[in-house]
Order: sequence, then structure tokens, then C-alpha cells
Amino acid sequence: MTGERLAVEVTKASMVFNAGRPNQVDALSDIDLLIEEGDFISLIGPSGCGKSTLLRLVANLLTPTSGDVRVNGKPASQARLDQDYGMAFQQSGLFDWRSVRKNIELPLELKGWNKQRRAERADEMLALVQLSEFGDHRPWELSGGMQQRVAIARALAAHPPLLLMDEPFGALDEMTREHMQAELLRICAAAETTVVFVTHSIPEAVYLSNRVVVMSPRPGRITDIVAVDLGAARDEDTREDAIFYKKITEVREALRGAEFGETARGLDDR
Amino acid sequence: MNGRLARAVDAVWPPALFGAMFLAVWELIVVINNIEVFLLPAPSAIGSALLDNYGKVWDAATVTGSNALVGLLLGVGLGVAMSFLLMRFRLLDELTTPLAVAVNAIPIIIVVPILNNMFSATSQVGRRLMVMLIVFFVVLINVAKGLRQVKPTHLELMRSYAASPWEVLLKARVPNALPYLFTALKIVAPLSVITAFVAEYFGGSQNGLGFRITSNAATSKNDVMWAYVVGACVLGLAFYLISIWLENATSRSSPADHHQ
Repeated sequence: MTGERLAVEVTKASMVFNAGRPNQVDALSDIDLLIEEGDFISLIGPSGCGKSTLLRLVANLLTPTSGDVRVNGKPASQARLDQDYGMAFQQSGLFDWRSVRKNIELPLELKGWNKQRRAERADEMLALVQLSEFGDHRPWELSGGMQQRVAIARALAAHPPLLLMDEPFGALDEMTREHMQAELLRICAAAETTVVFVTHSIPEAVYLSNRVVVMSPRPGRITDIVAVDLGAARDEDTREDAIFYKKITEVREALRGAEFGETARGLDDR
Repeated sequence: MNGRLARAVDAVWPPALFGAMFLAVWELIVVINNIEVFLLPAPSAIGSALLDNYGKVWDAATVTGSNALVGLLLGVGLGVAMSFLLMRFRLLDELTTPLAVAVNAIPIIIVVPILNNMFSATSQVGRRLMVMLIVFFVVLINVAKGLRQVKPTHLELMRSYAASPWEVLLKARVPNALPYLFTALKIVAPLSVITAFVAEYFGGSQNGLGFRITSNAATSKNDVMWAYVVGACVLGLAFYLISIWLENATSRSSPADHHQ
């Protein structure tokens, strides 16, 4: 271990589903990935490249067939038990029978926080995602973008140092999506969170990340890592910068290279 | 408050007026055409028969109503308990589901004579068991589905919080199953009354509404029979109101048709 603490440390991780059966899938092969604290990392690649599987290994929702995953300097299983990360999915996964506020309080309830402490934190999180007036609404009364903001607030409620996101904006329309990307950067800067973000949108990955991890399928592996870093002061104008386009091209070429000259399939150019 | 009262009055008077007119026309047709009581008694005749036999109708309604209610409560309790067991023990589920499907496929009302034979002639146990059986299967199938069909995202989320199986049950599965339970209750509340009635057509003790209706019909005491029919109508309405009330109580807290 060096002095700098690593948020995520994946070493020689492989994941095989249905091993030894005719429908065996080599989802991930020999993955090495180091993520430093404060990083915003995107995992990008066509469908079936194992990017969601890799995220689930970090979350300890899956255990690698071989190799090692460490989060916050501990084994991934311990990090999960300690709730060292928050997670957000493509479906917001809010509980319809709970108010927005009670949804945000769920991870805190499971941590055994008392009512008053939960309420204070929920207020703080609602303010952070700018939904203070909607605390007592039911999730289904909110728009898709607002629901995802609640899901992010819930993921960050316990102030975890790491946020894992699995295509959280994949179901949103383009306008909402760009707005949510800006919101996410603001929220994560305020919460000082490390982020691992799965997406299949190249502009989304470039806009958000300081490093874009390019993956390819069959078997899922990392083929390239593109350093981006558009600076802390990203805004809507950034999307029209020459450097933004240059980085999009760079990631797209990395993806094509990963497919051996073929056009990258299952990717979206938005 | 006044507005709400006015709305309630607005909602009630048209059907009330229509009902009164319906009874008046009925009465007129019977009187003008001089229709015999054994064909169709006039509402006034039914009314006076009901007043004369008020105590008996009430007693009979109590018998049938408590059969329905006891069977309903037992069936719901047993159905909920069983669905938890099936969710907890997969093996039990695999063993009993085919049996449950087979038993459920029997037109269940034909079991009544068998059940009646098991108990003494004056016992209500067979009928209550009948109601219980019908309620049990509807509740079991629905609640088991609700406990099991939790969204995968919700389960992953609970796992990411390191939630214990007990916490997953209390905070994800049970709340997910509640709307299913209420759907089942809405179905079985009226069904329990119907079953309690029909079960009386197959012998056994002779003090319920169903039996009174058939026996008065057999002896051509049509006005008295109709008095019991009125009792049956009120009893059915009472159970129907329970299910409506349950529906309202739940629709307030669930998305209903807000889902895309």
C-alpha cells in the first residue's frame, strides 16, 4: 500500500457465469482497475462488455470467480457491510409506499439512526438535490428526473465516500439528462464523493469523468483508459468546446479499436 | 364541510328517487294486474312480511353473516400465514403448490355435502370451513405473489445496504405484498357471503338465510321468502361495503394507475 488511499482496487478479477455449462459466459476477464479518492470514473462499452458486472463486483452484489476487489482499503464484502458506498440504478428503485423523505431515510434506518437524526439528514439531502418542497410527496407523483434525484439523495444519505451508478440517466430524455449530469457534478463536488458511473453514452462519459474506462465484450475486458478532465468549472458551454469534441472522438476511436475496426455496436452517440 | 354534505346529497338523491319510483311502479303493476302473491308479491306485502318476521330475518342473517365472517377471517389468517411459510421454505412451496392447484381446480362448492357429513346436523362448522377454503386459496395465491415479486432493483438495493433477511422481509417484501392482500380481500369479502349462502343449500342446520329462502319458496310463502331476500340483500351489501372501504383505504397510499 502506498500513502495515497485508493477508493477502489480491482486486481486480476474475472467473472464467469454458468461455468462448465453450455451457456457459460465469460463476463469479465482479468480486470485490473485502480480508482483514487475523488475520481469520477465512467465505465463505457457496448452491451455485454461487463460494465454493469464490474460495478456489481465493486458493490459486492456479485463475487468474482477469481481475483480480488477492495473498496476503501477493505475487502468489498466488508465495505458493503459497512455501507461504504451508495448505489443508484437505471430504475430509480424508490419504494412507492414510502414518501420521498422516508425513501431517503431508508439506508439510515438500516444503520439504526434515531428518528431525529434521520429527519435532519433527510432535510439536508432534500436541500442538496433541490427537492425540499417534495419531501412528503410519493415517488410516483414526481417526474423521472426528480425521481432519479431522490435516488441519488438516498444513495448519498449516509455520506458514503463512494457512489456507484448503473446507467442512472439511461431512461431520461436528452434535455433532462444533460440537466441531471450538471446536477450530479454539483452534488458530488458538494459531497466530496468518488464516483463510478456506468453508461453507454459517449458524451455523458466525457462530460462527467476525469477518466473514461473503455471496455469490450466477449470476454469483457478493459481495452483503454482515456484521461479527460474538462476542469471543475464545467457548464453548458463546455458541451460546445473543441476539447469536448476532441475527447468524444478519442473515446469513440478507443471503442472502435476495442472492436477491431468494426463500428462500436450498441453505443449511442448522443 | 357544507360543500361535502351537498355533494353527498347530490350523489344520493338521483338513485334514491329512481329506487322509490321503481318500487312504486312495481306496486302499481301488481295492484292493477291483480298479480297473485305466489307469482310476485307487491313491495308493500314484502314490507309487511318483513315487519312481521323482522326478528326471524335478523336471526337468520346473523347465522349466515357470522358463517361468512368467521370463514373470511380464518381464511385470511391462514392464507397469509401459509404464504409466509411458502416464501420462507422453497421445498414446501414445490411440494404443496401442485396440490393447491389441484384442490383449487375442484368446483369447491361440491365439497360442502362432504364437509356437512363430517359434522353434526346442527353444526355450522362445515359451512365455515367451506368459506375458509375459498378465501384461503385466493389470499394465499395473491399474497405469496406479492411477497415474491419484489423488483430486482429493490433486492439489490437492500443487499447494498447490508440488510438482514428479516429487514428485507419487513421493509421490502411485506409492503410490496400489502396491495396484493387488499386486492384479495376485495375479491373474497363478497365471495364469502355467496359461499355461506350456497353452503346452506346442501342440508345441515336450518336457521340461515339461504335455507329460509328455499323453504319458504317450497311452501309458497312468497312474501315471507322475499322478506328473507331483502335480508340477504342487506347482508351482501354490508360485505360489499367492507370491500369498497378496503379499496378506498388502500388506493390512497398506492400509485394505482399512475404507473407508466
